[in-house]
Amino acid sequence: MKTLQIFLAVIMIIPALGLAQVNPRDMKFPAIEFNPAEPERFVTDNGMVIYFLEDHQLPVVTLDAYFKGGTIYDPADKTGLTGIMAALLRSGGAGKRTPDQVDQDLDFVGARISSQAADHALILELNILKKDIDLGLTLLADMLLKPKFDSARLALELSNAMDNVRRQNDDPHGISRRVFYQTVYGSHPYGQFATLESLGKIARTDIMAQSGRFYHPDNCILAVAGDLTYKELQDLIKKYFGVWPRGMKPLETIAKAQAGFKPGVYYAEKDINQANLRLGHLCMTDDNPDRHAMEVMNYALGGGGFSSRITGQVRTSAGLAYSVGTYNYLRPLMGPLFGYCQTKAESMSQALQMILDIIEEVKQKGITAEEMDLAKDALINGYVFNYDTPAKLVNAKAMLELRGFPSDQLEKDLITLQALTLEKCNEVAKFYLDTKNIAIVVVGDEKLFDKPLATFGPVTKVSMEIK
Amino acid sequence: MKKIITGLVLFLLVAAITAPAQDEFRFQVNEFTLKNGMTFLVVERPTAPVFSGVICAGAGSALEKQGAIGTAHLLEHMMFKGSRMVGTSDYESEKDFWIKEDSVWARLERAVREERYVRLNHPEKLAEHLAYIESLRTLLDSLAQASSQYVIQNEFDLLYSRQGAADFNASTAYDFTHYYVSLPSNRLELWFNMESDRLKYPAFREFFTERAVVSEERRLSVENESDAKLFEQLIGTAFIAHPYQLFWEWQSEVNNLTRQDLADFFNAYYTPQNLTAAIVGDVKTAEVQKLAEKYFADIPVRPDPDPIYTEEIPQTGERRVEVHFEANPALIIAYHKTSFDSPDEPAFRVIERLLGEGRTSRLYKSLVIDKQICLSVSVDVFPGNSLGDKYPGVFNIYAYPKEGISSHEVEQAIYEELNKLIQTPVDTKELTKIKNNIDADFIWYSYNNMGLAYNLATTVNLAKDWRYLSTMRKNLLAVTPADIQRVAAQYFTETNRTVATLVPTEKGEAR
Repeated sequence: MKTLQIFLAVIMIIPALGLAQVNPRDMKFPAIEFNPAEPERFVTDNGMVIYFLEDHQLPVVTLDAYFKGGTIYDPADKTGLTGIMAALLRSGGAGKRTPDQVDQDLDFVGARISSQAADHALILELNILKKDIDLGLTLLADMLLKPKFDSARLALELSNAMDNVRRQNDDPHGISRRVFYQTVYGSHPYGQFATLESLGKIARTDIMAQSGRFYHPDNCILAVAGDLTYKELQDLIKKYFGVWPRGMKPLETIAKAQAGFKPGVYYAEKDINQANLRLGHLCMTDDNPDRHAMEVMNYALGGGGFSSRITGQVRTSAGLAYSVGTYNYLRPLMGPLFGYCQTKAESMSQALQMILDIIEEVKQKGITAEEMDLAKDALINGYVFNYDTPAKLVNAKAMLELRGFPSDQLEKDLITLQALTLEKCNEVAKFYLDTKNIAIVVVGDEKLFDKPLATFGPVTKVSMEIK
Repeated sequence: MKKIITGLVLFLLVAAITAPAQDEFRFQVNEFTLKNGMTFLVVERPTAPVFSGVICAGAGSALEKQGAIGTAHLLEHMMFKGSRMVGTSDYESEKDFWIKEDSVWARLERAVREERYVRLNHPEKLAEHLAYIESLRTLLDSLAQASSQYVIQNEFDLLYSRQGAADFNASTAYDFTHYYVSLPSNRLELWFNMESDRLKYPAFREFFTERAVVSEERRLSVENESDAKLFEQLIGTAFIAHPYQLFWEWQSEVNNLTRQDLADFFNAYYTPQNLTAAIVGDVKTAEVQKLAEKYFADIPVRPDPDPIYTEEIPQTGERRVEVHFEANPALIIAYHKTSFDSPDEPAFRVIERLLGEGRTSRLYKSLVIDKQICLSVSVDVFPGNSLGDKYPGVFNIYAYPKEGISSHEVEQAIYEELNKLIQTPVDTKELTKIKNNIDADFIWYSYNNMGLAYNLATTVNLAKDWRYLSTMRKNLLAVTPADIQRVAAQYFTETNRTVATLVPTEKGEAR
C-alpha cells in the first residue's frame, strides 16, 4: 500500500541478530580440480564414430546422432527442404511401422526421439529408459536405414511450415532476427528463410534425394551416455547399425559469407510500443584464432550479462531495457557480431546511441585490466559446466569432431584463455568492433520514436509482405 | 530475473509433474531444519565438482496487495542489488540519500495526485503546479545520481560470475519466488555467504531505475507478445476474486511502488519459516549443515503470514473475451480447476497428459494430424507449478488455427474431444501409456542437479514435506477411468468455461 507520510527513517528490514559475516568480496577460493572421465571412442566397420560414457546413476540412456550436412545445403530455390526432411524422418514412418505406429510405440513407454536440422548438422536425439533401449534403437535404426517419408505426413509438414511462414511477423523478436540475417548475409545460405514459394516447390523426391546426401554411417557420430556397459553398447550398435552400408559422398564446399550489405537502418514496421533493435555486422569464423580474445573482450562489452558495460549502463544505470547486450556468434562460414535491445519506443534513439557509444568507446580505448580479469575468471571457473554430466561430455566431444576440431580443443581453449593479455583483447576490439559499417534493424512504430531513424543512417523500409 | 510465464510459453526448468516412490527414489534426501524454522534439503551427488542451490520463498505475486501489484517481482529484482556489504562502497552514506529520495518521491506522488484537482479548481495555477512536479522529478534524478556514487554496480552478480556461476537467476511465480545458481563445489561457502547476506541485509539501491527495468520487462513479455496479451485477458476474465487473476503486474502500479512496499512484503513473507533451501551436487550434508548454522541460523523468526483467504466465486456462465492485435488467430479455453491437494487434482494431471502430451495425445492426434485444422495445440494448468498450485487455478487448452480455419471450428472440435472424455471410459492401454510416462518422467526429473533441487525446495513450501513427491506419484498412478470421467463431467462444463480469442488487426488499425 502507498503510504502518505514522508519517510524520515530508513526503511526498516528486521535485522539479523548475529555478527556481521565476512564480506563475500574478500573470500578466496582454490582453483577447481576436475579431471573429467575420458569417453570411450570407437569406430565401427561401416565408419560410425561413437563416444560413450557409462553412467549408472539412473536407469536411462541418452543417445545423440550427429551428421554433417544441414540447412546450408538447401537448394537455392527450395529453402526449408532440409528442415522438412529432418522433421519427416521422425514423423513419416519407419521400417514396418506407419507414422502413427512409431508415435504410439514411443509414447507408450515414455521415450522421445527428435530429429532436427541445424545449419551445419543433422541431429537425432533419443532419450529412453534402459529397459526400452531395444525398442528405441529399433526405431532409430529404422528411421535412418528404412525411412518411409509418408506422403500424407509430408503434406502436413509442408502445410504447417507454410502456416509458420504466415505467422512469421507475429513476434517482434522473430522479425528482428530474420531481417538482420537477411540483411547481413544477403544471398549466402545463412541469410535464407523458407517462403510459401520455396516450400511450395518441395516434392517427396526432393526429400529422398536430400536425405541421401547426409544419413550414412560413415557420416555419423554418436554420443551415448547412460546405464550401459561398453560391451553392451558395442553389441547394440552392431545389432542395429551393423548392416548399414557406407555411402557418404563428399558434400560440396560452400563459400564463406562476404559483407556486401549497405550500412544503415533497416526498419520493419509493427504496431507495438517497444523498439526491438538488432545491430551489427559480419565478424569472424568459428576457427578464427582471435576468437578467445574476442570472447573475453565481448564479455566485458555486452556478452557477460550484468558484468558487462552495455547491460550495466543501458539496463542497470538507465533503466532503459530488460534485455540488452552483445553476442559474438561464431559460425563456420562467418558469424555476426551484434547488439540487441528492446526498449520502449520513446527511448529508441537514447538506447541505440548508448550502445553505439559504448562500442565505439571500447573500440577506441579498450577494456580495462579489471574487466578482462573478471571475464577470464568467469569463463575459466565456469568451464566445469561444459562437462558436469556424462551426457554433456560425450556431446561436447562429438560436436568437436563434427566441426573438425581436435578432441582436446576445450582444454586448449582453456589454456589460450588463461594466457590472454590485455593488449590482445584491445587489439581485437580495435580491429573487429565497428559502429559505421553496420546494419541497424529496428522493429516497431517510428511515429513513437524519440528521434527519426534517419539520425542513424540511410533508412531502408523492409517489406513485411509474406511471400 | 524473470516472472514465470505460464501460458503458451512454459517454464522449462523441469518438465516432469511426477514424483518418486520411496523405493524408486535413487538419491538419498537429507533434511534438517534450523531453530528459526528454515528447512534445508541436501542430496549428495558427486558426479562432477559442482552443485546447484535453490532457495524457495513462499512469497509469490498472489500475495501482493492491491495498489502494490508488482511488489514480489520488483523485490526479486532488488535482491540482486546486493546488501549492506555487497554492492556498496559506503552503505551508511548511501542510505542517507535513499531517505531523501523516498521523501522526494512521496512529495512527487502527492503532487501528481493533486494535479487533477488543481486542473479542476485552480486552472490558473496548473502551469505552476506542473513546473513543481517537474522540479521534483529533477530533484529525484539528481539524488539518484548522488547515491549512485557509492554503488558498486552489479557486484552481487559479479561475485558469483567470476567464480564460474551457471544457471544464475531467479523467478517470481504466483505462490513462490525461487533464487537459483550452480557453482563449482569448492565455492559452497560463497553460496551460503551471498544468499544469507542478501536475506539478512537486503539493500534496495538503484530502486527507481530498476522499477523502469521491470516496466520494460512487461512491455517485452506481455504488451508486444500476442500469446501473453491473450493470456492476460483470459486470466483476468476467468477470475473475478482470486489474486490468480493477474497474469503480470499493472504498469500503473509498478510506476508507484516504493521501497516501503518492498520492505513490508519482505518482512511479511521472507521469514525463515517460509524459506526452504535445497542443495544438490558434490557436497557433504555435514558441511552443509555446519554452514547453514553459521550463516542462516541468526535470521530471527517472524510471525507466520496470513494465507490468502480470498476464494474465487463460482462462475455463473460462459465468459468470452477478445484481443485485437497485429498477429494471426489464436484461441485459449480455460476451465476452473482444483488446488494441488484436492482429491480431483490427480485426475486433472492425468487428463492434461491424455489431451496434450506427445504426438499420440488426443488433441494433437485429432486436431493437428487427423482433421488438420490446427497448426499446434497444447494443454497446461495454471499457475502451473510442476508440483501443483496452492490455490485452485485453471486448466487451459491453447490452439493456433491453420490458415483459413475459423477459431469457432477449432473450438467445437476441442469440445468434441472433451465430451469423449465424459462419455467413454479411457481404455486400459491409453491409461497405461500415461502411467508409463509418469514413471519415466519421475526418473528423468532428477537427471539434473538444478531440476532436483528446484523440486525439492518447492515441495516443502507447497506441501510442508518433501515426501509429497512420492505421495503425488502414488496418487497419479491410482487414477481410474471412472475418476477421469467424473472429473471431466464435473469441470468441463459450459458454465465453468472462459474462452479468449485473438482477432488479427491490420497495421495502423486502432487497438
